[in-house]
Amino acid sequence: MTCEELIAHLSSYLDHEMDAALVAEVQEHIARCRNCRVVLDTTQRLIVLVHDEGRRVIPASQRSALFERLQQAFLNRPQTLENSNLRTAEDSAV
Amino acid sequence: MDDEAALIDGLRRRDPQAFTLFFETYADRVYRLAYGIVGNEADAEEAVQATFISALEAIDRFEHHARLGTWLYRIAYNHALMILRRRRPEESLPDEDDALPMPSALADWSTLPEDRLLSREAQEVLRKAIAELPTTLRAAFVCRDIEGLSTADCAQIIGISEGALKVRLHRARLMLRERVSEYFGEWVAPENG
Repeated sequence: MTCEELIAHLSSYLDHEMDAALVAEVQEHIARCRNCRVVLDTTQRLIVLVHDEGRRVIPASQRSALFERLQQAFLNRPQTLENSNLRTAEDSAV
Repeated sequence: MDDEAALIDGLRRRDPQAFTLFFETYADRVYRLAYGIVGNEADAEEAVQATFISALEAIDRFEHHARLGTWLYRIAYNHALMILRRRRPEESLPDEDDALPMPSALADWSTLPEDRLLSREAQEVLRKAIAELPTTLRAAFVCRDIEGLSTADCAQIIGISEGALKVRLHRARLMLRERVSEYFGEWVAPENG
């Protein structure tokens, strides 16, 4: 496997979407090629970093106002014909 | 009736508890996807609001062969793109047939201590580098590597084939690695000589 081929297959290797023969070729290549090993290790670390640190949530200061606005929009939503057909018999009897 | 079917049924009946559950389950996920695409809190919040309003208007037409989360993400993706186009109407998109450039930043920062890479400074570098990716690549990256959704789900949300999704993800990772390595590499350079 050449360096170009390794770089082309890097994501398949990291995502475990590669067949065993190619995995062996990648491992053999990185055992003797420092640059490709660095690219692989840093890409892998990058993915872990963004996954762990990307757990962003709606800022608390905005969250309840957003909830209230959307809840109002939800409760005031016009009843559609299709929606009214979906109501249960019990609802309709009221 | 499974949990998702019960939730959809509740939303169709305008049950306030169903709305609360819907919001609590999906609001932050939608926000993260939108933030990843638009790159700031105010626009991400606008995308969440537009997504929930669109979804609640369309919930009566929702078909059970799709999963609710994937359906919602797809609406969010489209709203985020619309907001982004309003902000950056002239972005040129990369040609995905171009040959991949070989990596050139080769400092090994992968062994830097956790506290250094989780520092506010490092996080800002990451955030900026993600924001600077071309939109098509960023969307694939945010969906797969930040949200951790499957290739099949991301392809469905973005509206491309799984093969195209993998190509974009791969390009995004390499481009991002290159950019952050230029920065993080300086932190290891003295140690490497």
